[in-house]
Amino acid sequence: PRPDVYPLPAGTNLLFTQSGRIEYVPLEGYSMKKSEAKTALHLPEKVVVGVAYDCMEKMVYWTDITTPTISKASVQGGDAIPVITTDLGSPEGIAIDHMSRTMFWTDSMKDRIEVASLDGTQRRVLIDTDLVNPRAIIVDPVKGFLYWCDWNREAPKIEAAHMDGTNRRLLASEGLSLPNGLTYDPQTSLLCWADAGTHKVECMDPTQNDRRSVTEAIQYPFGLTAYGKNLYYTDWTRNAVIAVDRQTGREVEEFHPQKKSRLYGITAAYAQCPSGQNYCSVN
Amino acid sequence: DSTAGSSSDCKPCPCPGGATCAVVPKTREVVCTNCPAGTTGKRCELCDDGFFGDPLGQDGPVRACRACTCSDNIDPNAVGNCNRETGQCLKCIYNTDGFFCDRCKEGFFGSALATNPAEKCRPCSCSPYGTVDQQTSCLQVTGQCQCLPHVTNRDCNACEPGYFNLQSGKGCERCDCSPIGSTS
Repeated sequence: PRPDVYPLPAGTNLLFTQSGRIEYVPLEGYSMKKSEAKTALHLPEKVVVGVAYDCMEKMVYWTDITTPTISKASVQGGDAIPVITTDLGSPEGIAIDHMSRTMFWTDSMKDRIEVASLDGTQRRVLIDTDLVNPRAIIVDPVKGFLYWCDWNREAPKIEAAHMDGTNRRLLASEGLSLPNGLTYDPQTSLLCWADAGTHKVECMDPTQNDRRSVTEAIQYPFGLTAYGKNLYYTDWTRNAVIAVDRQTGREVEEFHPQKKSRLYGITAAYAQCPSGQNYCSVN
Repeated sequence: DSTAGSSSDCKPCPCPGGATCAVVPKTREVVCTNCPAGTTGKRCELCDDGFFGDPLGQDGPVRACRACTCSDNIDPNAVGNCNRETGQCLKCIYNTDGFFCDRCKEGFFGSALATNPAEKCRPCSCSPYGTVDQQTSCLQVTGQCQCLPHVTNRDCNACEPGYFNLQSGKGCERCDCSPIGSTS
Protein backbone atom coordinates (compact mmCIF):
# COMPACT_ATOMS: atom_id res chain seq x y z
CA PRO A 1 0.00 0.00 0.00
CA ARG A 2 1.04 3.56 -0.62
CA PRO A 3 2.07 5.46 2.44
CA ASP A 4 0.29 8.63 1.35
CA VAL A 5 -3.18 7.18 0.75
CA TYR A 6 -5.51 5.17 2.95
CA PRO A 7 -8.29 2.67 2.26
CA LEU A 8 -11.79 3.82 3.13
CA PRO A 9 -12.76 2.53 6.58
CA ALA A 10 -15.94 0.50 7.09
CA GLY A 11 -19.13 2.48 7.57
CA THR A 12 -20.29 5.60 5.79
CA ASN A 13 -17.75 8.17 4.67
CA LEU A 14 -17.92 11.54 3.01
CA LEU A 15 -15.73 11.72 -0.08
CA PHE A 16 -14.72 15.13 -1.39
CA THR A 17 -12.18 16.50 -3.84
CA GLN A 18 -9.46 19.12 -3.71
CA SER A 19 -7.07 19.83 -6.54
CA GLY A 20 -4.87 16.77 -6.73
CA ARG A 21 -6.66 14.62 -4.22
CA ILE A 22 -9.77 12.79 -3.10
CA GLU A 23 -10.20 13.01 0.65
CA TYR A 24 -12.50 11.21 3.03
CA VAL A 25 -13.91 11.88 6.45
CA PRO A 26 -15.72 9.00 8.20
CA LEU A 27 -19.19 9.60 9.64
CA GLU A 28 -20.21 8.43 13.06
CA GLY A 29 -23.94 8.80 13.01
CA TYR A 30 -24.13 12.18 11.32
CA SER A 31 -21.01 13.57 12.90
CA MET A 32 -17.71 13.88 11.05
CA LYS A 33 -14.83 11.99 12.65
CA LYS A 34 -12.40 14.73 11.77
CA SER A 35 -9.40 13.16 13.45
CA GLU A 36 -9.75 10.16 11.14
CA ALA A 37 -9.99 12.14 7.92
CA LYS A 38 -7.39 11.04 5.38
CA THR A 39 -6.48 11.05 1.72
CA ALA A 40 -8.17 8.29 -0.26
CA LEU A 41 -6.42 9.06 -3.52
CA HIS A 42 -3.49 11.31 -4.34
CA LEU A 43 -3.43 12.54 -7.95
CA PRO A 44 -0.88 15.32 -7.66
CA GLU A 45 -1.03 16.60 -11.23
CA LYS A 46 -4.80 16.59 -11.62
CA VAL A 47 -7.61 18.97 -10.80
CA VAL A 48 -10.34 16.67 -9.58
CA VAL A 49 -13.79 18.27 -9.62
CA GLY A 50 -16.67 15.79 -9.54
CA VAL A 51 -16.79 12.64 -7.45
CA ALA A 52 -19.23 9.72 -7.30
CA TYR A 53 -19.24 6.41 -5.49
CA ASP A 54 -20.24 2.99 -6.75
CA CYS A 55 -21.50 1.18 -3.67
CA MET A 56 -21.54 -2.21 -5.42
CA GLU A 57 -17.93 -2.52 -6.48
CA LYS A 58 -16.69 0.00 -3.91
CA MET A 59 -15.08 2.19 -6.49
CA VAL A 60 -14.72 5.94 -6.59
CA TYR A 61 -15.23 7.74 -9.91
CA TRP A 62 -14.05 11.25 -10.61
CA THR A 63 -13.77 13.91 -13.30
CA ASP A 64 -10.41 15.55 -13.96
CA ILE A 65 -10.41 18.80 -15.92
CA THR A 66 -6.67 18.87 -16.65
CA THR A 67 -6.29 15.91 -19.00
CA PRO A 68 -9.45 15.82 -19.21
CA THR A 69 -10.66 12.37 -18.17
CA ILE A 70 -13.11 10.37 -16.12
CA SER A 71 -11.35 7.71 -14.03
CA LYS A 72 -12.06 5.24 -11.29
CA ALA A 73 -10.17 3.47 -8.53
CA SER A 74 -10.93 1.07 -5.73
CA VAL A 75 -11.45 2.78 -2.39
CA GLN A 76 -9.52 -0.07 -0.82
CA GLY A 77 -6.42 1.31 -2.50
CA GLY A 78 -5.54 0.87 -6.11
CA ASP A 79 -4.39 2.67 -9.19
CA ALA A 80 -6.43 5.12 -11.16
CA ILE A 81 -8.09 3.43 -14.13
CA PRO A 82 -9.09 5.79 -16.94
CA VAL A 83 -12.65 5.18 -18.09
CA ILE A 84 -13.40 8.01 -20.53
CA THR A 85 -10.43 9.73 -22.14
CA THR A 86 -11.66 11.17 -25.45
CA ASP A 87 -13.96 13.96 -26.53
CA LEU A 88 -14.18 15.67 -23.14
CA GLY A 89 -13.86 19.42 -22.55
CA SER A 90 -14.50 20.27 -18.93
CA PRO A 91 -16.16 17.29 -17.25
CA GLU A 92 -17.52 18.48 -13.91
CA GLY A 93 -20.44 16.72 -12.28
CA ILE A 94 -20.67 12.92 -12.24
CA ALA A 95 -23.41 10.60 -10.99
CA ILE A 96 -23.64 6.83 -10.78
CA ASP A 97 -26.63 4.55 -11.10
CA HIS A 98 -25.29 1.51 -9.30
CA MET A 99 -28.30 -0.58 -10.31
CA SER A 100 -28.02 -0.27 -14.06
CA ARG A 101 -24.22 0.13 -13.88
CA THR A 102 -24.14 3.42 -15.73
CA MET A 103 -22.69 6.84 -15.11
CA PHE A 104 -23.80 10.31 -16.15
CA TRP A 105 -21.71 13.44 -16.40
CA THR A 106 -21.89 17.10 -17.36
CA ASP A 107 -19.36 18.84 -19.58
CA SER A 108 -19.32 22.63 -19.33
CA MET A 109 -17.19 23.13 -22.43
CA LYS A 110 -18.93 20.70 -24.76
CA ASP A 111 -22.18 21.88 -23.14
CA ARG A 112 -23.72 18.48 -22.90
CA ILE A 113 -24.81 15.65 -20.63
CA GLU A 114 -23.59 12.17 -21.44
CA VAL A 115 -24.10 8.62 -20.27
CA ALA A 116 -21.91 5.51 -20.47
CA SER A 117 -21.57 2.13 -18.85
CA LEU A 118 -19.28 2.08 -15.86
CA ASP A 119 -16.56 0.51 -18.01
CA GLY A 120 -16.76 3.41 -20.46
CA THR A 121 -18.55 1.55 -23.24
CA GLN A 122 -22.00 2.39 -24.65
CA ARG A 123 -21.32 6.10 -24.41
CA ARG A 124 -24.10 8.38 -25.64
CA VAL A 125 -24.98 12.07 -25.56
CA LEU A 126 -28.27 12.58 -23.73
CA ILE A 127 -28.68 16.36 -23.79
CA ASP A 128 -26.81 18.85 -25.97
CA THR A 129 -29.16 21.79 -26.27
CA ASP A 130 -29.76 24.78 -23.98
CA LEU A 131 -26.81 24.05 -21.71
CA VAL A 132 -24.30 26.78 -20.88
CA ASN A 133 -22.58 25.91 -17.63
CA PRO A 134 -23.93 22.53 -16.57
CA ARG A 135 -22.33 21.44 -13.32
CA ALA A 136 -23.79 19.11 -10.70
CA ILE A 137 -25.74 16.04 -11.84
CA ILE A 138 -27.72 13.60 -9.77
CA VAL A 139 -29.55 10.40 -10.62
CA ASP A 140 -32.55 8.82 -8.91
CA PRO A 141 -32.43 5.30 -10.34
CA VAL A 142 -35.54 4.10 -8.53
CA LYS A 143 -37.81 6.66 -10.18
CA GLY A 144 -35.64 6.83 -13.28
CA PHE A 145 -34.87 10.54 -13.15
CA LEU A 146 -31.84 12.65 -13.83
CA TYR A 147 -31.40 16.10 -12.28
CA TRP A 148 -28.82 18.72 -13.06
CA CYS A 149 -28.06 22.39 -12.53
CA ASP A 150 -26.72 24.97 -14.96
CA TRP A 151 -25.17 28.12 -13.44
CA ASN A 152 -25.39 30.15 -16.65
CA ARG A 153 -25.42 33.71 -15.24
CA GLU A 154 -27.98 34.85 -17.81
CA ALA A 155 -30.42 32.04 -17.04
CA PRO A 156 -29.47 29.72 -14.17
CA LYS A 157 -31.72 26.69 -13.83
CA ILE A 158 -32.38 23.30 -12.32
CA GLU A 159 -33.66 20.71 -14.76
CA ALA A 160 -34.87 17.14 -14.81
CA ALA A 161 -35.23 14.44 -17.45
CA HIS A 162 -35.77 10.74 -17.68
CA MET A 163 -32.56 8.75 -17.54
CA ASP A 164 -32.62 8.35 -21.32
CA GLY A 165 -32.73 12.13 -21.82
CA THR A 166 -36.42 12.29 -22.74
CA ASN A 167 -39.11 14.30 -20.93
CA ARG A 168 -36.78 17.16 -20.15
CA ARG A 169 -38.39 19.60 -17.73
CA LEU A 170 -37.46 22.88 -16.04
CA LEU A 171 -37.77 22.59 -12.25
CA ALA A 172 -36.55 26.00 -11.12
CA SER A 173 -35.21 29.16 -12.70
CA GLU A 174 -36.56 32.08 -10.68
CA GLY A 175 -34.51 33.23 -7.72
CA LEU A 176 -31.40 31.31 -8.74
CA SER A 177 -27.95 32.74 -9.30
CA LEU A 178 -25.07 30.27 -9.22
CA PRO A 179 -26.49 26.83 -8.41
CA ASN A 180 -23.29 24.81 -8.01
CA GLY A 181 -24.28 21.86 -5.85
CA LEU A 182 -27.19 19.42 -6.14
CA THR A 183 -28.31 16.37 -4.20
CA TYR A 184 -31.34 14.11 -4.00
CA ASP A 185 -32.55 12.26 -0.97
CA PRO A 186 -34.70 9.27 -1.97
CA GLN A 187 -36.06 8.87 1.58
CA THR A 188 -37.77 12.24 1.59
CA SER A 189 -37.97 12.64 -2.22
CA LEU A 190 -36.32 16.03 -1.83
CA LEU A 191 -34.04 17.59 -4.37
CA CYS A 192 -31.76 20.19 -2.78
CA TRP A 193 -29.33 22.66 -4.27
CA ALA A 194 -26.67 25.03 -2.98
CA ASP A 195 -26.35 28.40 -4.68
CA ALA A 196 -23.15 30.47 -4.43
CA GLY A 197 -24.92 33.57 -5.75
CA THR A 198 -28.04 33.64 -3.57
CA HIS A 199 -26.01 32.06 -0.73
CA LYS A 200 -28.85 29.66 0.03
CA VAL A 201 -29.58 25.98 0.16
CA GLU A 202 -33.07 25.24 -1.11
CA CYS A 203 -35.07 22.04 -1.48
CA MET A 204 -38.13 20.91 -3.37
CA ASP A 205 -40.04 17.76 -4.16
CA PRO A 206 -39.60 17.53 -7.94
CA THR A 207 -43.15 16.22 -8.33
CA GLN A 208 -44.67 19.15 -6.45
CA ASN A 209 -44.24 22.87 -6.34
CA ASP A 210 -43.12 23.19 -2.75
CA ARG A 211 -39.74 24.86 -2.98
CA ARG A 212 -38.40 26.10 0.32
CA SER A 213 -35.21 27.55 1.72
CA VAL A 214 -33.23 25.41 4.16
CA THR A 215 -30.49 27.81 5.08
CA GLU A 216 -29.40 31.28 4.01
CA ALA A 217 -26.38 33.55 4.23
CA ILE A 218 -23.91 30.77 3.57
CA GLN A 219 -20.67 31.78 1.87
CA TYR A 220 -19.59 30.02 -1.33
CA PRO A 221 -21.00 26.50 -1.73
CA PHE A 222 -19.71 24.25 -4.47
CA GLY A 223 -20.61 20.59 -3.82
CA LEU A 224 -23.63 19.28 -1.89
CA THR A 225 -24.68 15.87 -0.62
CA ALA A 226 -27.52 14.62 1.57
CA TYR A 227 -27.09 12.03 4.27
CA GLY A 228 -29.83 11.32 6.78
CA LYS A 229 -30.86 14.40 8.69
CA ASN A 230 -27.96 16.46 7.41
CA LEU A 231 -26.80 18.16 4.26
CA TYR A 232 -23.06 18.50 3.74
CA TYR A 233 -21.59 21.10 1.42
CA THR A 234 -18.11 22.19 0.39
CA ASP A 235 -17.34 25.90 0.53
CA TRP A 236 -14.76 27.78 -1.57
CA THR A 237 -14.44 30.68 0.82
CA ARG A 238 -14.11 28.64 3.97
CA ASN A 239 -12.13 25.77 2.39
CA ALA A 240 -14.27 23.46 4.49
CA VAL A 241 -16.98 20.80 4.56
CA ILE A 242 -19.99 22.16 6.43
CA ALA A 243 -22.84 20.11 7.88
CA VAL A 244 -26.30 21.66 8.06
CA ASP A 245 -29.31 20.15 9.79
CA ARG A 246 -32.03 19.90 7.18
CA GLN A 247 -34.91 20.52 9.58
CA THR A 248 -33.55 23.48 11.50
CA GLY A 249 -31.26 24.86 8.79
CA ARG A 250 -28.65 25.30 11.44
CA GLU A 251 -24.97 24.69 10.80
CA VAL A 252 -23.98 21.83 13.07
CA GLU A 253 -20.39 21.13 12.19
CA GLU A 254 -17.50 22.14 9.98
CA PHE A 255 -14.37 20.34 8.90
CA HIS A 256 -11.19 21.96 7.60
CA PRO A 257 -8.96 19.50 5.77
CA GLN A 258 -5.24 19.75 6.30
CA LYS A 259 -4.65 21.12 2.82
CA LYS A 260 -5.89 24.65 2.46
CA SER A 261 -7.29 24.86 -1.03
CA ARG A 262 -10.70 24.95 -2.65
CA LEU A 263 -12.95 21.96 -2.13
CA TYR A 264 -15.03 20.77 -5.07
CA GLY A 265 -17.38 17.81 -5.30
CA ILE A 266 -18.68 15.84 -2.33
CA THR A 267 -20.61 12.60 -2.03
CA ALA A 268 -21.63 10.16 0.68
CA ALA A 269 -20.05 6.73 0.25
CA TYR A 270 -22.59 4.44 1.92
CA ALA A 271 -21.60 1.36 3.83
CA GLN A 272 -24.19 -0.55 1.83
CA CYS A 273 -26.07 0.16 -1.35
CA PRO A 274 -29.49 1.69 -0.77
CA SER A 275 -32.14 -0.93 -1.47
CA GLY A 276 -34.42 -0.78 -4.47
CA GLN A 277 -34.36 -1.73 -8.09
CA ASN A 278 -35.19 -0.19 -11.40
CA TYR A 279 -36.19 -1.25 -14.84
CA CYS A 280 -32.65 -1.52 -16.14
CA SER A 281 -31.40 -3.62 -13.23
CA VAL A 282 -33.95 -6.36 -13.82
CA ASN A 283 -33.54 -6.35 -17.58
CA ASP B 1 15.49 2.60 2.20
CA SER B 2 15.83 2.58 5.95
CA THR B 3 16.33 -1.21 6.06
CA ALA B 4 19.70 -1.10 4.29
CA GLY B 5 21.46 -0.10 7.48
CA SER B 6 23.69 2.84 6.62
CA SER B 7 23.30 6.43 7.77
CA SER B 8 22.70 7.78 4.26
CA ASP B 9 19.83 5.45 3.44
CA CYS B 10 17.10 7.95 4.27
CA LYS B 11 17.17 11.00 2.03
CA PRO B 12 15.40 14.26 2.74
CA CYS B 13 12.11 14.80 0.89
CA PRO B 14 12.69 16.73 -2.35
CA CYS B 15 9.81 19.01 -1.42
CA PRO B 16 9.75 22.75 -0.70
CA GLY B 17 8.91 24.21 2.67
CA GLY B 18 9.69 21.02 4.57
CA ALA B 19 6.72 19.21 3.03
CA THR B 20 6.46 15.50 3.75
CA CYS B 21 6.77 12.91 1.02
CA ALA B 22 6.10 9.28 0.21
CA VAL B 23 7.49 6.69 -2.17
CA VAL B 24 5.00 5.08 -4.52
CA PRO B 25 5.84 1.38 -4.13
CA LYS B 26 5.21 0.30 -7.71
CA THR B 27 7.14 3.05 -9.46
CA ARG B 28 9.61 4.04 -6.68
CA GLU B 29 8.55 7.58 -7.48
CA VAL B 30 8.75 10.18 -4.72
CA VAL B 31 5.68 12.38 -4.31
CA CYS B 32 5.28 15.29 -1.92
CA THR B 33 2.20 14.84 0.24
CA ASN B 34 1.89 18.15 1.98
CA CYS B 35 2.71 20.96 -0.43
CA PRO B 36 2.82 24.60 0.76
CA ALA B 37 -0.48 26.49 0.47
CA GLY B 38 -1.41 27.31 -3.08
CA THR B 39 0.75 24.62 -4.64
CA THR B 40 0.32 21.00 -5.65
CA GLY B 41 1.95 18.42 -7.92
CA LYS B 42 4.40 15.60 -7.35
CA ARG B 43 7.08 18.07 -6.28
CA CYS B 44 4.79 21.00 -5.43
CA GLU B 45 5.73 22.43 -8.80
CA LEU B 46 2.15 23.29 -9.81
CA CYS B 47 -0.28 25.99 -8.73
CA ASP B 48 -3.77 25.18 -7.46
CA ASP B 49 -6.67 25.47 -9.87
CA GLY B 50 -7.44 29.07 -10.77
CA PHE B 51 -3.81 30.15 -10.35
CA PHE B 52 -0.67 30.03 -12.50
CA GLY B 53 3.04 30.36 -12.05
CA ASP B 54 6.25 28.40 -11.65
CA PRO B 55 6.62 28.17 -7.87
CA LEU B 56 9.84 26.14 -8.05
CA GLY B 57 11.38 28.04 -10.93
CA GLN B 58 11.64 24.88 -13.01
CA ASP B 59 11.39 26.79 -16.24
CA GLY B 60 13.32 30.01 -15.47
CA PRO B 61 13.00 32.36 -12.54
CA VAL B 62 10.54 31.54 -9.76
CA ARG B 63 7.09 32.90 -10.49
CA ALA B 64 4.84 32.74 -7.45
CA CYS B 65 1.32 31.44 -8.04
CA ARG B 66 -1.13 34.17 -8.87
CA ALA B 67 -4.74 34.23 -9.98
CA CYS B 68 -5.53 33.65 -13.65
CA THR B 69 -5.44 37.03 -15.38
CA CYS B 70 -7.76 36.90 -18.31
CA SER B 71 -8.67 40.54 -18.93
CA ASP B 72 -11.74 40.17 -16.69
CA ASN B 73 -13.14 37.88 -19.35
CA ILE B 74 -13.45 34.75 -17.23
CA ASP B 75 -16.03 33.81 -14.66
CA PRO B 76 -14.76 33.24 -11.11
CA ASN B 77 -17.37 30.51 -10.64
CA ALA B 78 -15.80 28.43 -13.43
CA VAL B 79 -13.13 25.78 -12.82
CA GLY B 80 -9.99 25.39 -14.91
CA ASN B 81 -9.92 29.02 -16.01
CA CYS B 82 -6.25 29.02 -17.04
CA ASN B 83 -3.28 26.75 -17.66
CA ARG B 84 -1.57 26.39 -14.31
CA GLU B 85 1.92 26.85 -15.72
CA THR B 86 1.63 29.33 -18.57
CA GLY B 87 -1.48 31.21 -17.47
CA GLN B 88 -3.05 30.70 -20.89
CA CYS B 89 -6.75 31.41 -20.50
CA LEU B 90 -8.96 28.43 -21.25
CA LYS B 91 -12.48 29.65 -20.53
CA CYS B 92 -12.89 33.07 -22.08
CA ILE B 93 -16.41 34.49 -21.94
CA TYR B 94 -18.22 37.46 -23.56
CA ASN B 95 -17.21 36.11 -27.00
CA THR B 96 -13.53 36.79 -26.32
CA ASP B 97 -10.56 34.63 -27.19
CA GLY B 98 -6.77 34.69 -27.16
CA PHE B 99 -4.05 33.85 -24.64
CA PHE B 100 -5.43 36.38 -22.13
CA CYS B 101 -8.98 36.60 -23.53
CA ASP B 102 -7.72 39.87 -24.95
CA ARG B 103 -9.34 39.82 -28.39
CA CYS B 104 -12.69 38.97 -29.90
CA LYS B 105 -13.25 35.44 -31.06
CA GLU B 106 -13.71 34.58 -34.72
CA GLY B 107 -16.92 36.03 -36.06
CA PHE B 108 -17.05 38.86 -33.49
CA PHE B 109 -15.64 42.37 -33.32
CA GLY B 110 -15.19 45.21 -30.86
CA SER B 111 -12.94 45.70 -27.87
CA ALA B 112 -12.36 42.65 -25.70
CA LEU B 113 -10.86 44.98 -23.09
CA ALA B 114 -13.89 47.28 -22.73
CA THR B 115 -15.10 47.38 -19.14
CA ASN B 116 -18.78 47.01 -19.91
CA PRO B 117 -19.55 43.48 -21.16
CA ALA B 118 -22.19 44.87 -23.50
CA GLU B 119 -19.48 46.84 -25.29
CA LYS B 120 -17.02 44.01 -25.60
CA CYS B 121 -17.46 41.76 -28.64
CA ARG B 122 -20.43 41.82 -30.99
CA PRO B 123 -21.20 39.38 -33.82
CA CYS B 124 -19.94 40.40 -37.27
CA SER B 125 -23.27 39.37 -38.84
CA CYS B 126 -21.83 39.75 -42.33
CA SER B 127 -24.51 39.59 -45.01
CA PRO B 128 -24.16 36.23 -46.78
CA TYR B 129 -25.15 37.88 -50.09
CA GLY B 130 -22.67 40.72 -50.00
CA THR B 131 -19.63 39.11 -48.38
CA VAL B 132 -16.74 37.41 -50.17
CA ASP B 133 -17.07 33.62 -49.92
CA GLN B 134 -19.93 34.15 -47.43
CA GLN B 135 -17.29 34.72 -44.73
CA THR B 136 -18.59 35.08 -41.19
CA SER B 137 -15.53 36.85 -39.76
CA CYS B 138 -14.71 40.56 -39.92
CA LEU B 139 -11.98 43.02 -38.94
CA GLN B 140 -11.34 42.89 -35.16
CA VAL B 141 -11.89 46.53 -34.28
CA THR B 142 -14.10 48.09 -36.95
CA GLY B 143 -16.10 44.97 -37.70
CA GLN B 144 -15.84 45.59 -41.44
CA CYS B 145 -16.78 42.50 -43.41
CA GLN B 146 -15.03 41.82 -46.70
CA CYS B 147 -17.56 43.03 -49.29
CA LEU B 148 -18.04 41.85 -52.88
CA PRO B 149 -17.59 44.46 -55.66
CA HIS B 150 -19.84 47.53 -55.30
CA VAL B 151 -21.29 46.27 -52.01
CA THR B 152 -21.20 48.65 -49.07
CA ASN B 153 -21.80 49.00 -45.31
CA ARG B 154 -19.94 47.35 -42.42
CA ASP B 155 -21.88 44.14 -42.82
CA CYS B 156 -21.98 44.27 -46.67
CA ASN B 157 -25.75 44.33 -46.75
CA ALA B 158 -26.36 46.97 -49.44
CA CYS B 159 -25.29 48.00 -52.91
CA GLU B 160 -23.41 51.21 -53.56
CA PRO B 161 -25.58 54.04 -55.02
CA GLY B 162 -26.16 53.32 -58.69
CA TYR B 163 -25.84 49.55 -58.26
CA PHE B 164 -28.37 46.76 -57.68
CA ASN B 165 -28.91 43.01 -57.34
CA LEU B 166 -27.17 42.22 -54.05
CA GLN B 167 -29.02 38.89 -54.05
CA SER B 168 -26.89 37.62 -56.93
CA GLY B 169 -24.17 36.76 -54.45
CA LYS B 170 -21.57 38.00 -56.95
CA GLY B 171 -21.56 41.66 -56.06
CA CYS B 172 -23.81 44.45 -57.27
CA GLU B 173 -24.38 45.38 -60.93
CA ARG B 174 -24.52 48.83 -62.39
CA CYS B 175 -28.11 50.04 -62.79
CA ASP B 176 -27.46 51.21 -66.35
CA CYS B 177 -30.34 53.65 -66.24
CA SER B 178 -30.74 56.21 -68.97
CA PRO B 179 -28.95 59.39 -67.83
CA ILE B 180 -31.75 61.45 -69.28
CA GLY B 181 -34.68 60.00 -67.34
CA SER B 182 -33.05 58.95 -64.02
CA THR B 183 -31.68 60.70 -60.96
CA SER B 184 -28.96 58.13 -60.26
